[in-house]
Amino acid sequence: MVLRFLRNKVVEVEPLPDGQLLVTWKLADDLLEAEMRLKVQPPDLEITEAEASISRCPHQECAMAPDLIENVEGVRIGSGLRKIVRGLLEGPEGCSILSAGVLECCNAVILHFTRPGIQARDGVRLTEEEQIAGSRENLKNNPRLVRSCIAFADDSPIMQGLDL
Amino acid sequence: MITFSRSSLVGAEFPDDETVRFHGVQEDHIYDMEIEVDVRIPDGEILRIKGWMKRYTTPVCPKAVDVLQTAVGMSIREDGWDSRIMREIGRKGCEHFAEILIECGRSFDQARMARDLYGPVMQDPTMDQNAFTANWVNEHPEIQGTCMARK
Repeated sequence: MVLRFLRNKVVEVEPLPDGQLLVTWKLADDLLEAEMRLKVQPPDLEITEAEASISRCPHQECAMAPDLIENVEGVRIGSGLRKIVRGLLEGPEGCSILSAGVLECCNAVILHFTRPGIQARDGVRLTEEEQIAGSRENLKNNPRLVRSCIAFADDSPIMQGLDL
Repeated sequence: MITFSRSSLVGAEFPDDETVRFHGVQEDHIYDMEIEVDVRIPDGEILRIKGWMKRYTTPVCPKAVDVLQTAVGMSIREDGWDSRIMREIGRKGCEHFAEILIECGRSFDQARMARDLYGPVMQDPTMDQNAFTANWVNEHPEIQGTCMARK
């Protein structure tokens, strides 16, 4: 069956020579084409620069949405982020697509830092028990993951023996 | 160089007048997941969902495939539908499945609008597309008030 709608989204993280992270986000679908670029400064993960553009949009009003993006400059990627970004960018005068894009950029930054730990276990043949033990060690170093998904739920074998 | 990249793809087909079927894929350096979900158009109720977990990080992750069935019966027209999906499918299952399902839900109205606009644009490429979409919003009160373009 022919698709009547197709949406393609890409988010990328690139470390810059000045130590900041450049996050680029693009969305293209039948009706909308939008881009944003955020610069994030480690270690506080503050959004130091934010810009956006919309080159195709279904409604005339959407063309004004990129002006909102400056509101996230100064926001730090950390606890309460979702509520803060939604407060700044959503609502009847806002743009939920840009809000979602900012949150996806921030999530990509976190995964940029997550990747090395996971990649370090690549290429090592482990039994399931050893994999679970490895995940348990990873969880000790990242307690924010506790109860974040089925793998780190209270009844998961990864959580056995942990008091987190 | 790029140190982390994620691509998400959502396609929509309309198997009948009352149903939209989404195919959603999310692939990045760490994870690769896919779902197929049927949504009833008049009320946004999720009728059927299937999921495939292709790349993941722990041996427990594949158990989240079964949790996807919790979504059946939920409506993407409910207030806070995306938070509910993140809570019920993400926290109790897999955050990445929840993210794909939410992206499908966000595409719900756009997919319907694109389906309706395609014929007129193919017939007359010079038509006023903004006027069409403004009229489309006026004729669909269920999406009004959600953003600056749908006041």
